[in-house]
Amino acid sequence: MEQTFKVAYTQEPQRTSFLFHGNIDAHADRHLEDVVRQASSPTVQLDFSNVGRINSMGIALLLRTIKSLKSEKQAEVQISGLNQMNSMLFKMTGIFLMARELGA
Amino acid sequence: MMTEESQGPATMVFIGDPLTGCGMTVGTAGLFPEGPDVQERILTGSADKPELIDELLTVIGDQDESRALLCQKAGLMADEMLENALYAAPRDSSGACLFSKGHPRRLLPMEQIRLRYSYDGARLALEVRDSWGTLTAAQVFSFLAINTATAAPDPERAGRGLFFMWRLLDQFYVNIRPGRETVVGGCLQLRPAPVDATTP
Repeated sequence: MEQTFKVAYTQEPQRTSFLFHGNIDAHADRHLEDVVRQASSPTVQLDFSNVGRINSMGIALLLRTIKSLKSEKQAEVQISGLNQMNSMLFKMTGIFLMARELGA
Repeated sequence: MMTEESQGPATMVFIGDPLTGCGMTVGTAGLFPEGPDVQERILTGSADKPELIDELLTVIGDQDESRALLCQKAGLMADEMLENALYAAPRDSSGACLFSKGHPRRLLPMEQIRLRYSYDGARLALEVRDSWGTLTAAQVFSFLAINTATAAPDPERAGRGLFFMWRLLDQFYVNIRPGRETVVGGCLQLRPAPVDATTP
């Protein structure tokens, strides 16, 4: 089933955590802009446990989001919950050069 | 140990002249298996995409780890091929895109997009053809070269979808008949899941 992209977030003093749900593609654009707006802690965790497919447009949007989190919010970005396929894509596109995978 | 990633990019078959970008009138016979098991679907618009990908994933099934990985790859490959046909292929006479990604669209009256697939329990063949023929050989090679040259993260880099196909498909082909048709396809093998695909 097609999964509409949604984001839930929790705020702690030192960390803002975003839990992503669904597929990440062009439709995630506005939601990922909100992620940058809402992040307000020195550490930002992006949790992909409930993410299905991430296509090339989704990868471009994630790269833009992580870049903005680092440059505009000076945040350390952490990634968790990747499936095998998405982990391969993150390696191929250099996302792991910008964000650390928790537990890796 | 070989990991999924260390198997390297697909064998690429480009049907056409890579120097001039002119396509040849050679079909894709031999690259896509013909026969009664081949399924063909004709799109009417972008709204068909999720349903077609779901159909493909249902055919494969995800009852074990290897099939689950094949499903993840197949879903992504179909997504990229269909997005290219829906949004990258339609261009005006100046080469500008007619439609933006993320905006729902219906096919134009003379436009055709066809998805074909065949799965025999061990190998999935997948192919999408559009009736534009606007992709050029120079673009294909340039996209693969740009994305191969550096792993530095760049959100604006073009051609990432084709790069994913080249890296993840076991065989990858492009057949361009300029102004008439672009066919992008390839195959994925079901193979035992690696013990640890993240180990270098």
